[in-house]
Amino acid sequence: MKFILGILLLSGFALAGSDEPLARPHDLWEVIYKIWLVITVIIYAVVAIPSLYFMFRYRYRKGENEQGDQEHEGHWGLEALWTIVPLIIVLYLATHGFALFTQMRKPPENAMELKVTAFAWGWMFQYPNGKMVVASAIRDTEDKKCKPEECYGVDGVFQQYVYIPKGVPVKAILTSQDVLHSFYVQPAGVTQDMVPGRTTVTWFQINKEGEYWVFCREYCGQWHSRMFAKLKVVSKEEFERWLSGQPADAGHEPSDERVANINSSGQEVVR
Amino acid sequence: MREAVAEKPWFSASIWEWIFTTDHKKIGIMYGVTSTIFFIVAGLMALGMRLELFSPGAQYLKPETYNWFLTVHGAVILLWWAIGVWASFANFLIPLMIGARDVAFPRLNALGYWMFFAASVIALLTFIPGNQIMTMWTGYPPLAAKEGIGFAGTTALFVFIWHLTGFASIAGAVNFITTVIRMRVPGIGFFNLNLFIHGVIAANVIQLLGVPSVAGAVTMLFLDTYLQTSFFDPTKGGDPILYQNLFWFYSHPAVYVMVLPAFGIISEVVSAFARKPIFGYRSMVIAIWAIAVVGFIVWTHHMFVSGIPDWVKIFMSYTTLLIAVPTGIKIFNWVATLYRAAIVYRTPMLYALGAILMFLIGGLTGIPLGLPAFDVAVHDSYFVVGHFHYVLGMAVTLSAFAGFFYWWPKVTGRMYPESLGKLSFWLIIIGSNVLYFPQLIVGLMGMPRRYYDYPPIESWVTLHQIQTYGAFVLAVGILIAIVALIKGAISGEKATKNPWMSNSLEWRLPSPPPPHNFDKEPEVEKDYCPHGYCKS
Repeated sequence: MKFILGILLLSGFALAGSDEPLARPHDLWEVIYKIWLVITVIIYAVVAIPSLYFMFRYRYRKGENEQGDQEHEGHWGLEALWTIVPLIIVLYLATHGFALFTQMRKPPENAMELKVTAFAWGWMFQYPNGKMVVASAIRDTEDKKCKPEECYGVDGVFQQYVYIPKGVPVKAILTSQDVLHSFYVQPAGVTQDMVPGRTTVTWFQINKEGEYWVFCREYCGQWHSRMFAKLKVVSKEEFERWLSGQPADAGHEPSDERVANINSSGQEVVR
Repeated sequence: MREAVAEKPWFSASIWEWIFTTDHKKIGIMYGVTSTIFFIVAGLMALGMRLELFSPGAQYLKPETYNWFLTVHGAVILLWWAIGVWASFANFLIPLMIGARDVAFPRLNALGYWMFFAASVIALLTFIPGNQIMTMWTGYPPLAAKEGIGFAGTTALFVFIWHLTGFASIAGAVNFITTVIRMRVPGIGFFNLNLFIHGVIAANVIQLLGVPSVAGAVTMLFLDTYLQTSFFDPTKGGDPILYQNLFWFYSHPAVYVMVLPAFGIISEVVSAFARKPIFGYRSMVIAIWAIAVVGFIVWTHHMFVSGIPDWVKIFMSYTTLLIAVPTGIKIFNWVATLYRAAIVYRTPMLYALGAILMFLIGGLTGIPLGLPAFDVAVHDSYFVVGHFHYVLGMAVTLSAFAGFFYWWPKVTGRMYPESLGKLSFWLIIIGSNVLYFPQLIVGLMGMPRRYYDYPPIESWVTLHQIQTYGAFVLAVGILIAIVALIKGAISGEKATKNPWMSNSLEWRLPSPPPPHNFDKEPEVEKDYCPHGYCKS
């Protein structure tokens, strides 16, 4: 009963879907996620419930049930059934996934281009007007250990907010300076590796103001786990103002010199 | 039948005999002991990592120590445990199951083990400070080939581990395949071989075809690192993604090397304790070989976000999902075997049934990872970690323990203590689920894998703490399982020839089998079927 309720609840979620998703293309991911979850729960139940029943019902009992049925060594009809039904399910899943993936990969026409260059360990974001923002990992050194909140905090110097306009699709053009990194925007649910010597592309759009995580998802050495960035999603107007460098709370503007320093010298960032 | 009075049992041999032995049973035991020791070492490293991840921030370990633990944990669990332990089972059991005196090339077999041993020595060398490999078990360039931020200094150790274990794998594969093709007693054919042998041989065919690819990849990595070639160096016109293709061309099929023998063991154990022939034997055999073949054309699902063309992702998405069909056939057939059975709940059966139900979770969470549309959100996240721990940490490990307990009477001639065995099963299954299920959830929330530290997000912290508790329950369970096995080998009651009343050939030998196996070439009945239950 509980299980059926769960299924109903899940399909309810799947149908409800609000008009404005928090982030794109995560809304498309949710579609395939919910379909998968429903199918998975059903398949697990279809296998596990009979198994548990058989395990109990056909246990060894002295004098009563000492030997299993020796006659039935297979049944072509049944075996065909559990070949064909899963085959149909996976072909459906792959095809639906294909359709969604094609949509997910296509950045909208009006997307803002954001160039992102990864280095060990951090990111350099370059906006269309040339403005640059750096988010580099905060590391523990021998004399200075950061507390969890500080390790993943934004200090405005080495780790700066990456401003993103609300509701505007952003096409991220990714590359790396040294080793493989990966660009994962948490609310949008997109991951794309950053490969030295080539550019890769992904896109995302966030529809609600706030702060969001970006993580590196390809192992890149010692401080891989602290390679993050904080997206600050603001209204379009505020973003325009920040981009042209007007307001005071926009954080420090990095000089190109400092950026170059962090990249080439590999100096420890001591906080 | 002549009693083997003059023959000494295998375990009373001298050290000298062990070192120079070409006996498949002794070599099998040496593989088993080496694998299990490394399994325990890798497990302890995992405990260290779980303690570090108990809460955010730096706890006990430095990031380089954590990365070293993670690299060794991955490489050792995959190469020594999930692949190596099957070399143990295959060596001990294949000749017994097909009625042969030994494997086809006994000296090559011994050489294979000693190569594996040499790889073990190199793995131990990585424990010396300064030698610690931190490339992760995949060793992706440019990280592995670079000085400074990369780990060029220790890449040679990483490469030689692959070369030596690869040599052992190929030596084993040549041996087992030839043995099974040429040395079966009359009456045992393709469609009445043990399912364990089908699993192992399919796995070894994969080894034979796949290992050269990864060996080539790591050799090129070695040349890039030390001789300044530029296969994978983008600054000189190379391509790091080429390495990933070559690496995964073997390393994805390698997961079937790990799991097909596990399927074989589950089939052996389930049919023996259900006291019933396995359901759909022929479809089981076809499923095993289908998995082995299709497994070779799915490797790019490890690279869905690497920057490969989208059409490749779509093609391999279909092939990846197709693997679910033969895998599903096997699971449904096991469940159908339980129908109208007389299930005897002994330790091996508990482990095998646990492996089936847990493998189902591993398989079902693997399906969406084959869909690029789903994968982009969870690629390289804890969801993947949870998925492959359900497969490797549960399906493979539980089947290996099922196999240990099942054949323990045959190997040692003594029974294991039943209550300790059952206790170990329940601790392992509870601990594993508490450990691995939160990984799936925290992965869906976006937690990336291979993280030494993570942001103090409340739900992530809770989920990581639950995992750490589970890890300790699991560790206690494994400890008890090993204690049960050792206690059984030393002081268990004497085992009979065929305690599980199986119809398979290895159970017609005394326990433990004499060094020459069969006194004369065994004869099998006309309708011999290793999974037909017999009341002896």
